[in-house]
Amino acid sequence: MPPPLSTDLTAYLNSKSLTPTTAWLSTFLSTQRPNIPPAALRQTALFRLLASNITETLQPGPGSVFPRDIHDAAVPERRLQGPVVVQVVDVADIGRSRWAQVEALEALERGEGVRGREIVRVVPGETDGEGGEERWKGPHKLTLQDARGMCVYGVEVEGIEGVGMGMAMGVKMVLKDIVVARGVILLDPRGAAMLGGRMEGLHKVWKEDLKERLKGETQRGGD
Amino acid sequence: MTKILCVAEKPSIAKAVANHLGGSVPARNVPSLRWLKNYVFNYNFGPWGPCEVTFTSVAGHVIEHDFGGRYSNWQTCQPSELFDAPIEVQIKGDKKSIAQNIEQQARYCNILYIWTDCDREGENIGAEIRNIALKVNSRMTVKRAMFNNIERAHIVQAANNPIEIDELQSDAVAARMELDLRVGAAFTRYLTLNLRPLIQAVDDSIKVISYGSCQFPTLGFVVDRYFRVQNFIPETFWAIKVMQVKDDVKVAFNWKRVHLFDRMTVTILYERCLAARTARITKVQKRPTSKWRPLPLTTVELQKNGSRFLRMDSQTVMKIAEDLYTKGWISYPRTETDQFDKGMDLMGLVRKQTQDANWGPFAQRLADGGFQWPRSGRNNDKAHPPIHPVNYVLPSSLSDTDRRVYEFVVRRFLACCAEDAKGELSTVEMQYGSEVFTASGLLVLERNYLDVYPYDKWESSQQLPVFQVDEYFVPTEAKMTEGKTAPPGYLTEPELIALMDANGIGTDATMAEHIAKIKERQYVVTRKRAGRAAAAGDGDNDDTTTTTATRGRGRGRGGRGGGGGGGSTRTSSGGGSGVDEFIPTTLGMALIVGYENLAFETSLSKPFLRKEVSRIQTKRPHTPLRSLQRFG
Repeated sequence: MPPPLSTDLTAYLNSKSLTPTTAWLSTFLSTQRPNIPPAALRQTALFRLLASNITETLQPGPGSVFPRDIHDAAVPERRLQGPVVVQVVDVADIGRSRWAQVEALEALERGEGVRGREIVRVVPGETDGEGGEERWKGPHKLTLQDARGMCVYGVEVEGIEGVGMGMAMGVKMVLKDIVVARGVILLDPRGAAMLGGRMEGLHKVWKEDLKERLKGETQRGGD
Repeated sequence: MTKILCVAEKPSIAKAVANHLGGSVPARNVPSLRWLKNYVFNYNFGPWGPCEVTFTSVAGHVIEHDFGGRYSNWQTCQPSELFDAPIEVQIKGDKKSIAQNIEQQARYCNILYIWTDCDREGENIGAEIRNIALKVNSRMTVKRAMFNNIERAHIVQAANNPIEIDELQSDAVAARMELDLRVGAAFTRYLTLNLRPLIQAVDDSIKVISYGSCQFPTLGFVVDRYFRVQNFIPETFWAIKVMQVKDDVKVAFNWKRVHLFDRMTVTILYERCLAARTARITKVQKRPTSKWRPLPLTTVELQKNGSRFLRMDSQTVMKIAEDLYTKGWISYPRTETDQFDKGMDLMGLVRKQTQDANWGPFAQRLADGGFQWPRSGRNNDKAHPPIHPVNYVLPSSLSDTDRRVYEFVVRRFLACCAEDAKGELSTVEMQYGSEVFTASGLLVLERNYLDVYPYDKWESSQQLPVFQVDEYFVPTEAKMTEGKTAPPGYLTEPELIALMDANGIGTDATMAEHIAKIKERQYVVTRKRAGRAAAAGDGDNDDTTTTTATRGRGRGRGGRGGGGGGGSTRTSSGGGSGVDEFIPTTLGMALIVGYENLAFETSLSKPFLRKEVSRIQTKRPHTPLRSLQRFG
């Protein structure tokens, strides 16, 4: 019985551009109850995979990872066919000064928000705690990691739904037919799509350190 | 004949109203108080027929509330006991003669007719007068007059339509006064007793370290901004600027992203613009635009504009406006209303201004058909109309400062009644590489209200040459530029007033006093802002979008004498000229930081608590208790 089940699952995940390693697949299947309906199994597999670290769970294939020379700044422009599945390991809002972001974070820590000129008390949980609409400002500069562990900058040249300071670290994206200029991926909604998911541990650390990191970068400047 | 006792809130109102009702009435001196006068005349009041009238006044509150017995002494009780110590009602000093005068007159009168200002505070003062009078003559009928300027027709109308005292409003004031007394006294004594020895070692001119539930949040705003300025770290940003020469006009195109804080990104985008070589015009638009005439004038706006355009601090502006009102030139200057009642004869008021040498011709144009009913704002305190000129006065007959305030009120009013300024805005949008750039030009077609309102600026800019959609060209110049963020400026008075207003600290009537108080206490110092645009907002050029200030109202208003600290020596800090910026002193900073470090659940130096107190201050019985628990 196992072969058809795993074939079905692989086909489903491949349709999402996800190519799990055989090791991951068999471990996953061995932990599932045998009588689970296929649809539920697919959902569970997708959820687990999106919550995983793709450098450990995805099989790097020739077209599904970044070319080894992607960082070559001497190349003004090239196209990346993909699809390449990546996980976001860092995000920065380059449309606002870091200091303005630090101030906003500190105000939030003190439980203050600003509505127009009015200083309002923000009760945690009342808003989603991520700074409301601010989170979609930008553009954003992302650090994208492929299944082989290689990290490349991606700049949000056009706004992409789901990208912002409120996004979860470790969220997966898939890149198809996209421009890489001077070693930087130019992200737009046509070439980059959100798959979802998150890496809990990474996100926690990222969020805790965000303010200190911004402060540090403020001193160094945006170079 | 029916005998009627009329009592105004201040002598000047008594005099003005008495003269309107009784012709030129001689003033009778009241023994023992030089400035207090009674005016006696006959008048036929609509509801009561011919009456023998005695018109007198008080001078603000008559009754004082203070702690008595051992609680009045700073040394003989714990400050914390003041939260539930008994409060004594006292009539002190000059006020004794005022109260005696009312008692004396009340004995012989059938009706008490109260003419205090129509606001919360006035309602409470009215209730005090009533209580004094009823004590000696319990059979008196008590009514109050509803008026908001002392123009003759308005006063006659008010005289014939008496209404009842609003007990709720009066109680609200009583509740606020009790709270301010208890909280202010307890914290002030505590602070002073504990800190004075320390501070006087450094500066012995500081006698009292007061806490006031409005003072502290006010100081908090100043300190917050100071730290923002001090802590600020400038950052570099980069931008792309494109210039195209067409028809001999240099057109500057602005980057839609304004600027970014990442050099690598800007460099790549810039390179891609250059690589694309040609730019394409994607949108050409011409649309009518207008600059809206101002809203009817409220107290807060008057104070803000006073600092900005008249170079006077808010307290000075209010004093002058108060004075102009008393003399009958302008309407009551303490108002939150920014909409005119549809029944008002605004055209009549406009006509009165046609005789002026400067703005007369403009007023005439309005009278000849240019008149437009003013825009309506969102606030209506249901007590007073927006501030407007009531009568014409020859500006040269006024002192220089009075003239400037009167002129502002008149020009503002005429601007309200005029048409919006009209113009045409052309915008051109260009795609260059992956980036979008825009250029725009403004052509002012009709200045309209701007002709009478020099305080607003709206000028035509350079005109754009004609561009066509899908026009391709290689831009004459494309540059990558670099800049730095600048710190915000220290808080200015208009900004501070706006913050207090938005956050419900003080009322439009008391804001100026709170500001003066923190100066007097040496918590802040002011200095002239140098080299910056006076009207500059946040100054943080991070933010290119200007948010229109939404006025968070929805709170009640109180009046004079609110937000008391411990002692209440009233000083007038000299009216400065120019926009002042506020810098906290070491003491001011230490107090705010100290209070913050107490880490109470609800901060005492932030606006939240005060806002809450003002909000729930609608009915007296519950308020002091609930509020005290908040301070507890």
